Amino acid sequence: MLNGFLKKFLGKSDSKDVAKKRLKFALIYDKLEVSDETLENLHRDIVEVISRYFEIDHDAFKLDIHRSDDLSALVVNTPILSAKHR
Amino acid sequence: MEGKIIVVTSGKGGVGKTTATASIGAGLAMEGKRVAVVDMDIGLRNLDVVMGLENRIVFNVVDAVKGKCKLAQAAIKDRRINNLFLIPASQSDNKNVLIPEDMVRFGETLKAEYDYILMDCPAGIERGFENSVAAADEALVVCMPEVSSVRDADRVIGLLYARSITPKLIVNRIVPEMVERGDMLSHEDIVDVLSVDLIGLVPMDDNVIVSTNTGNPLVLQKESKAGAAFLRIAMRVNGRTDLPIEVPRAQGKFWKRMGTKFGLGK
Repeated sequence: MLNGFLKKFLGKSDSKDVAKKRLKFALIYDKLEVSDETLENLHRDIVEVISRYFEIDHDAFKLDIHRSDDLSALVVNTPILSAKHR
Repeated sequence: MEGKIIVVTSGKGGVGKTTATASIGAGLAMEGKRVAVVDMDIGLRNLDVVMGLENRIVFNVVDAVKGKCKLAQAAIKDRRINNLFLIPASQSDNKNVLIPEDMVRFGETLKAEYDYILMDCPAGIERGFENSVAAADEALVVCMPEVSSVRDADRVIGLLYARSITPKLIVNRIVPEMVERGDMLSHEDIVDVLSVDLIGLVPMDDNVIVSTNTGNPLVLQKESKAGAAFLRIAMRVNGRTDLPIEVPRAQGKFWKRMGTKFGLGK
């Protein structure tokens, strides 16, 4: 009890609060993870959609997920060779 | 009336799935229902020893699924608890001898025979999990108040949602003294992190080891707090949703508890 009082007095946090905070971050990170297979499928689908409207350089097509502390971004970069006129 | 298949799962191993399956199955049978508990941990069977039925195995779940025996031949009747049957796992095969389609078909056979069927899912999220979940109507997720177990529970809950199953959570092995001291996640913390409905809280209890030592059902041990908690979970599974969820509390030490109440214990 005295120990607990000291902990409170000194402003130390409970270990379970640390656990909860770590868990929340771990779960957020886990959910941002994308498998290689998913990325390959996405790559294929995006190329297919863009190719309906543009001639693109398939080899130069790039798809990445950029992560920073508080957000994740899907970055697609492709050179366009020409527009398709329909 | 057609029976209901409930999968007991957790992702992580060693959190108490098998004890939960045996105890809730026993509880449902004591409520007067006809119950089958199925050990889906093929190659690593354990539900049989926990229930004290290991000497009576002739056929197993793989035999029953593959049609090598009748369902009634694989189902071992518990002699202490009426209407409770165990379908043991095979010890010599591996999980890949069954496929989810087999289990969907087998599930229909089970539902025609029993009111409740509890699937004791193996640890992991591979084929054993797929097979256990394939025919499930409902799911109970077991977790412990500890970081790795909660994380794995979250993963499994996601996989269950993807199959349109809304699971209910059991928090097992709660040590009330540690929760009150702030050294163990409380059930509120866990529910907050997982955003899932609770169906029961089970305290850490030495009787669990004692009951597995002897093979006597935990729910028949009068003094077992974990046994009592599992019985209440069984009643809730069986539709008694009005039954309040009891929070495990630390024993005695009045002044210490008063201290905690007034902020001295934290």
